[in-house]
Amino acid sequence: MTDDKTDVWQGTLALMILKTLETLGSLHGYGIARRIEQTSANHLIVNYGTLYPALLKLEQEGYIASEWGISENNRKAKFYRLTRAGKKQVERETREWERTTEILARFLAPRRQA
Amino acid sequence: MIRALRALSFRVAALFRNDGDFSAELDSHLQHHIDDNIRAGMTPEAAHREAVLALGGVMQTRERYRDRRRLPIVDTLRQDIVYAVRLLRKSPAFTLTAVATLALGIGANTAIFSVVNAVLLRPLPYRDADRLVMIFATNTQTGASTDVSSYPDYVDWSKADSFESMTAFATRNVTVSSGSEADYVLALRVASTAFDTYRIQPAIGRGFRADEQQPGRSHVVILSDGYWKSRFGGAPDVLGETLRVNEEPYAIIGVMPAGVHINAAAPEEIYVPLVVDPSRTHGFLRVVGRLRPGVTLSRAQAEMRVITDRLAKAYPKSNATIGANAMSLVDATAVNVRTGLFVLLGVVALVLLIACTNVASLMLARGTARRRELSVRAALGADRARIVRQLLTESLLLAGVGGIVGLAVGTWMARALALGLAANLHRAIPRVETTGVDGWVLGFTILISLATGIVFGLAPAFSAVSPDLNATLRDDSRSTTSHRSPRLQRALVVVETALALILLAGAGVLLKSLWTLGSVSRGFESDHVLAVDLWLPQPRFAKLSDRARFFGETLTHLRNTPGVRSAGFVADLPLNGGSDGLGFRIVGRPDPKPGSMFNAGFNIASDDYFSAMRIPVRQGRAFTAADRGDAPGAIVINETAARRFWPNESPLGRQISLPIASEEPDEHSRDTNDASSLATLTVIGVVADVRDISLATAARPEIYLNSMQARLPWPWLVLAVHTIGDPGTLTNTVRNIVHNADPNVPMVKFSTMDQIVSRSMAEPRVYTILLAVFAAVALTLAAVGLYGLVSFTVSQRTHELGIRVALGAARGEILRLVLGDGLRLAAIGAVVGLAGAWACTRVLRTLVHSVEPNDPLAFASVIVLLLAVALIATWLPARRAAQVDPVVALRTD
Repeated sequence: MTDDKTDVWQGTLALMILKTLETLGSLHGYGIARRIEQTSANHLIVNYGTLYPALLKLEQEGYIASEWGISENNRKAKFYRLTRAGKKQVERETREWERTTEILARFLAPRRQA
Repeated sequence: MIRALRALSFRVAALFRNDGDFSAELDSHLQHHIDDNIRAGMTPEAAHREAVLALGGVMQTRERYRDRRRLPIVDTLRQDIVYAVRLLRKSPAFTLTAVATLALGIGANTAIFSVVNAVLLRPLPYRDADRLVMIFATNTQTGASTDVSSYPDYVDWSKADSFESMTAFATRNVTVSSGSEADYVLALRVASTAFDTYRIQPAIGRGFRADEQQPGRSHVVILSDGYWKSRFGGAPDVLGETLRVNEEPYAIIGVMPAGVHINAAAPEEIYVPLVVDPSRTHGFLRVVGRLRPGVTLSRAQAEMRVITDRLAKAYPKSNATIGANAMSLVDATAVNVRTGLFVLLGVVALVLLIACTNVASLMLARGTARRRELSVRAALGADRARIVRQLLTESLLLAGVGGIVGLAVGTWMARALALGLAANLHRAIPRVETTGVDGWVLGFTILISLATGIVFGLAPAFSAVSPDLNATLRDDSRSTTSHRSPRLQRALVVVETALALILLAGAGVLLKSLWTLGSVSRGFESDHVLAVDLWLPQPRFAKLSDRARFFGETLTHLRNTPGVRSAGFVADLPLNGGSDGLGFRIVGRPDPKPGSMFNAGFNIASDDYFSAMRIPVRQGRAFTAADRGDAPGAIVINETAARRFWPNESPLGRQISLPIASEEPDEHSRDTNDASSLATLTVIGVVADVRDISLATAARPEIYLNSMQARLPWPWLVLAVHTIGDPGTLTNTVRNIVHNADPNVPMVKFSTMDQIVSRSMAEPRVYTILLAVFAAVALTLAAVGLYGLVSFTVSQRTHELGIRVALGAARGEILRLVLGDGLRLAAIGAVVGLAGAWACTRVLRTLVHSVEPNDPLAFASVIVLLLAVALIATWLPARRAAQVDPVVALRTD
């Protein structure tokens, strides 16, 4: 099974995928991976292999749906898009993530409270 | 939660589809990446390489994807099973031993459970049968808990609020004739409420009406389906025809449907109304009630107690000690065999436990040999859980195969057991013939197979992973530090031996009691005696003169028949449950207590009965032809009666007086409270005690009335014929003589006295055989376990033993070393088992009354047997150890 680091990754990876699809609408796996790398200004190097189980999980949970189509390169590709449940999930997860970072930020704030 | 379930359902569904779709998606991904790379200026080779690297390996990705897409646990399970099958096939000896052991254990359990299921668990064939309850009478004075009750008691009981309906019935053998020949059939005398209570209805005609229970209106009869078909060929127009029951005309008013009967022990053939009987002291009825919906058995029991308490106050003379005992009908019909079946269930559970221990210890031994394999797997990244799972899969697979074979074996054993029980036990086991495999038996077998697999698989699995597996890799197998077999394995052998000893002790105790029964002094000789059960139809033989004529004629003819030494009539043969007790007075002596009388069993015998059965006359004489109806009443008593009633004096010439309601055709006349006259009888002889009740029960005081004088109308009689040759060959001769004396006397049964003696030992014999067989199985398994352990230890110690021999140890010392080790285990097991046997064998007393629970001789012999077998089991590998060639041993790795 996957080791601990990837598990943590997958938590955030899911949100990144959902957010990417929210912004760009329909996109295939390679495109999603590329987009995440670009958005992170290449700070993140996505192991593309971990992307697909994450996509599959999201699909099994009903947040995204997929269908085969033709890519801009004129190649067959599987395109993913958000479902209605997926849209709600993006909002929910975004809120949660913001709360988490806010809390973390308080811990990391340079000023200590007296 | 719902999301997780949704995902799970996708994953389960995906198990049955292949994931070709993903290959296409991966291809597409790589293609896109390669396109990009080439666009960025890479060579096609470099572009491809980089794309695969970025993906993190195609295979790994595919693996990860598949883990997510399906349920990895199912996949590994499939792998484990395939691997386990391959492994088990590679070591056929181990697999065969394990499967055979398990099949034996599981099969035995399936067999006994099948019988228990058929007899005790399956619902009775009535509608809402779970609400049917049998209500026995109890008697605090005699200690009886499953007694019959009287008609007035039944009527009072049936007012209980807990029951929506209550009925009562009794069986009686009657003669039935519709033409010339008389049949002797089992009739059920039954209250009119039976049809409501049991929810059964005649297929043709109607049930009884309440008014048909009144004397004078009761001459109506309902036929069972079987009797209707055999006697009337299933003719639909039998209603209204007349049947002569005990020579009185009865009108046929109905026919019951097929497969319906009320009497559990033997199916009744006809039904007649239960005639109202006003005597509270005449107990003869079985009472069955149907609980109202929602009423529990304990509530009904509580209400019955209130009622019987009230009756005890209202009728202190008859009911002071009478209570009621409500029991579900299923349990009540099998009340005699319930304990036996449960004991057997316990016995086979022990056998299964031994089988489990045995296989566990086999697995442990193999586990030790497989340590390297497991270590390698661990080193290659298998985690502990995965290895435990693998080992458990193996044991469950073994148990599964063992269960399948066990089911086959068990089905066969169940059939043999059911046949054997039905043929050997004279006390009928209800429904035993319906024994077979149904859903419950199947479920039971699956359940115990699973449990078995887990029980014997857990220990080896955990012990395989318990110490650091890495150490094993480094470890040299020549390790001298662990020269003993693992402690767990030794413990298992001790447990096995202990369990086997418990079973052996049980079998030993039963065998001893059987032997005691066989050698007990019976008081009569059983060889060369033909016993013919007769029935004297009542109205015809109500008068003494008619009976005496029949007796005289039959016996005279028999005496003149070649091949016959002597012949006599008796009411109750020995070993037949004993005669009914009657109260009597001793002339010239006060009653033992005011209002009570002396009590003894009263039998009836004709003049030559004692010589035919070779019952020795100790004092005085037996009856002779001179003791006729008009001569003074003569009685013969047994030695116990002589000692009890006339201690320190000769009983000869002493007199008793017996209340007898003379010449009354009804059997109620045996009820002393209805006494109308007293007969004065003189003791003319004392005969030896015979075991009248059973072989296991010492004789009670018994008084023999003279059949030529007794005014007790006794409808059932046995003709005992002492023959010169094989008694069986005279059957037809005797049949003709009796028929010529009176063609209306049905002969119910012909048996030899030897058969009767053998039948009376049938029950202890059956239990003894069963327990002995299971004990033998247990002993064999334990021996195999011990043998396996010692062999294994020897093979592990070959190196060490070689060094010992090389250093000068004598062969004898090596032999002693190994033998001592094995025997010590057996001895510890025996001691532990002895404690268990001490606690368990007393249970057997509920099966066979003559059992001495902690018989020291039986215990000592089974311990010797166990140790002897253990000695053999250890001797074989020990000898091998002693013959170790030091050169070879030192070279072995």
